[in-house]
Amino acid sequence: MNNKILETKNITKSFGTLKALDNVSFNLYEGKIHGLLGENGAGKSSLMNVLSGLYHPEKGSIYIKNQKYKISNPDFASKLGIGMVHQEFRLVESFSIKDNLTLSRSNIYIDNFKTAYKKYSEIFALNVREDEAVSNLSVGEKQKIEIMKLIFNNSNIMLLDEPTAVLTPQETLQLKNSLVTLAKEDMKTIVLITHKLKEIREFTEIVSVLRNGKMVSNDLLTQEVSNNQLINLMMGKVKKSQINKNNEIGDIKLEVKSVTSKDPVNNIKKLDDINFQIRSGEILGLAGVSGNGQVELANLIAGIEKNFEGKIIINNNDVSNKGVKSRKKLNLSYIPENRLGVGLAPGVSVLDNSIVKDYFQTKLGPHLSKNRTVKYLENLINQFSIKAPNPKAEISTLSGGNMQKLLMGRELIGNPDVIIASQPTRGLDVNAVEAIHNLLITQRNKGSAIFLISEDLDELFKLSHKLLVIYEGKVIKSFSTSESDIESIGLAMAGIGE
Amino acid sequence: MNKYTLSKRQAVNELSTFYSFLAGFLIALVIGSIILLIQEKNPIDTFSLMFKLSIGSVNSLSSSLNKATPLILAGLGIAIINTVKLWNIGAEGQIFMGAIGVNLFYINSNLSNPTILIFLLLLSAFIGGAFCILIPALAKVLFGVNEIITTLLTNYIVIGLTIYLVNGPWKDPNSLNFPAAAYVGKEVYLPTMFGKLSYGFLICIIFTALAHYLKNKSVFGYEMRIAGGSEMTAIYAGINAKQKAFFAMLIGGGFAGLAGGVELLSQTHRVSTGISQGFGYTAIIVAAITGMRPIGIFLVGTLFGALSIGGSVIQTIGVSTYIADIIQASTLFGALVIQFFFNYKLLRVDDD
Repeated sequence: MNNKILETKNITKSFGTLKALDNVSFNLYEGKIHGLLGENGAGKSSLMNVLSGLYHPEKGSIYIKNQKYKISNPDFASKLGIGMVHQEFRLVESFSIKDNLTLSRSNIYIDNFKTAYKKYSEIFALNVREDEAVSNLSVGEKQKIEIMKLIFNNSNIMLLDEPTAVLTPQETLQLKNSLVTLAKEDMKTIVLITHKLKEIREFTEIVSVLRNGKMVSNDLLTQEVSNNQLINLMMGKVKKSQINKNNEIGDIKLEVKSVTSKDPVNNIKKLDDINFQIRSGEILGLAGVSGNGQVELANLIAGIEKNFEGKIIINNNDVSNKGVKSRKKLNLSYIPENRLGVGLAPGVSVLDNSIVKDYFQTKLGPHLSKNRTVKYLENLINQFSIKAPNPKAEISTLSGGNMQKLLMGRELIGNPDVIIASQPTRGLDVNAVEAIHNLLITQRNKGSAIFLISEDLDELFKLSHKLLVIYEGKVIKSFSTSESDIESIGLAMAGIGE
Repeated sequence: MNKYTLSKRQAVNELSTFYSFLAGFLIALVIGSIILLIQEKNPIDTFSLMFKLSIGSVNSLSSSLNKATPLILAGLGIAIINTVKLWNIGAEGQIFMGAIGVNLFYINSNLSNPTILIFLLLLSAFIGGAFCILIPALAKVLFGVNEIITTLLTNYIVIGLTIYLVNGPWKDPNSLNFPAAAYVGKEVYLPTMFGKLSYGFLICIIFTALAHYLKNKSVFGYEMRIAGGSEMTAIYAGINAKQKAFFAMLIGGGFAGLAGGVELLSQTHRVSTGISQGFGYTAIIVAAITGMRPIGIFLVGTLFGALSIGGSVIQTIGVSTYIADIIQASTLFGALVIQFFFNYKLLRVDDD
């Protein structure tokens, strides 16, 4: 570890009151593949955005080859040889591969494009002609072009933000081989952002861990650190507080039987043989890093997505082929992960949003009687102490907590038999989190069967009777919260099964 | 260095659209006055004459209301379609298609009861308008083709079709070579209520109420609002967003078609290229000024009808009729600018 190419010292970056990065010091060494590990929201992307000139830190300094720089914009970062591949690709779809690769002013292969393209096509195992339009490429191929773009722009430090999230296992292996070659032969310095331990093991030599905006460990040699150590660093201390779980458990309310679904575009399995049942009064937690099939599973149970194999049974009714409304009539409630945009319609009034679940029921009248809808909203506001002074105001004038309370209240007021709660407390302050937890507990005690999807292990531990861990569309482990240790759950979430 | 940024206001005054309209109208009168002064005309005299000749007597008032009728009906159609946040630029074509629908049914039917016949002719007008927007609607829901472009383009197609019909198969041999279809029989003329005021205006009132109910009070209107807000929320709520968009477009097209039918049966009595004098375009202004509110469209449509009548009569004192167009367009422009400042506030930020 002698050739230090980049060093950050005490970087701090805040958004409002939230410290996304808190005194972060971080080193990169020439010709090595580095892993940057951390949970969602730990600050990984923020740090990379600081290095690539998108964010400007309030404090701290960046040194490249021992010289101090202020990276004011991505263009300057690129001049310094720093390039980033974002999760959402930044390619001009209608342009050819060649045009995309040579678009930047800093590109170095304008004269001998053909030889360079041939060389790197081989390294990336890319079998596409240079004049092919990017829009005709597969996701994996587009990613190769994105990485190649960095090389063509003479970037020696390549920041890759969760590059494997969109890849098949074979493509991931292929990517690994290409990156190893680039590090070894071209002396490229590579940073791989990920929360998959398996990839840290397979790809990287050096690993750093971020937690809550702080660099908890820097410059670890991947070979010398165990998975358990990494998990502990990544998650810190998990509060093991639990609520009373000796409440009455009743009949099966929701049953999911061998549910499998595939991405229609590339045929990758998004969900693979999912099986579980939830009884009245029971909270079943689904742990997992987001993007491992949770949204798809929730949408399938709610009836929003219909393309799947297997069976979904609500209250002893097979609803596999039924639509959203008939599932709602069986008293299913769904609190989607995406509050504004799915659960609530932006640009539409608070009043209209408050009746999304029940508007077609007779209690609101066939003509959508204004009196009844207003009373319905008033009832919600009182029961769930929502602050929404003007029913006609647009929904996004409410605070995040009040939006979530309105959404929860709307979904819970009918005393549902089955509740799917997806990331119900994400992004909320402590008081709002507490309020939402109490709502779920009350509902559990009233006999609802609750499917709690979350990334927050504290929350899952506190509330659920049982925990499933989902990884790449598969339930890889199941735990009882009363008799399991956090480490093995954390390992399972990071893809290390036993 | 100081920079300015726009920030969306949390609470927007409910009457803001009305205030914006008033302010816009005042701005338009000022602009109109300046143009009149350049032409060395006295704006006060001109405007008072316009006022007198458009609503000063029963006859002039009824002319104004007759003029307002197609504007309002087409504006309502635009507003219904905008509930799903889509724009109908094709009202002009739909008006023509409504008139074509009337004539098509008229020359092929041998019904003797004029009341039933008038009813069916108006229905044909509605269907004609809906048919006119059918292809844009299908293209929108099946392939996501931008409806602004397709509805605009159908205008040219339908006006071309009208020119073909009145010069070809439908050409009236008695029209002294004027390109027009034969007049419909007197028995299907929409009768007048009083003065020159046609029953078309009553239809207009009924359809305003209908549009208001549909948009603001019905379950269908609710579903349209949710679908317009977010397609994902609609799917989540069990609403077929595409289906709502499709029917909203057909109904909106039907309203504009009805405008053409009423205009034919009450004013022109035959198909010609003069069925609409840009009603379909002015209706966009009317609908936009009112924030797509049916009752607002009724009121502003009435004002714009009066402005057109006033504009056409002041030619007698040597002022161009275009002064009315300038006032209409400037009202929209002014109202949009004022509305913008109701929705946003300008903030000064200090750059680092």
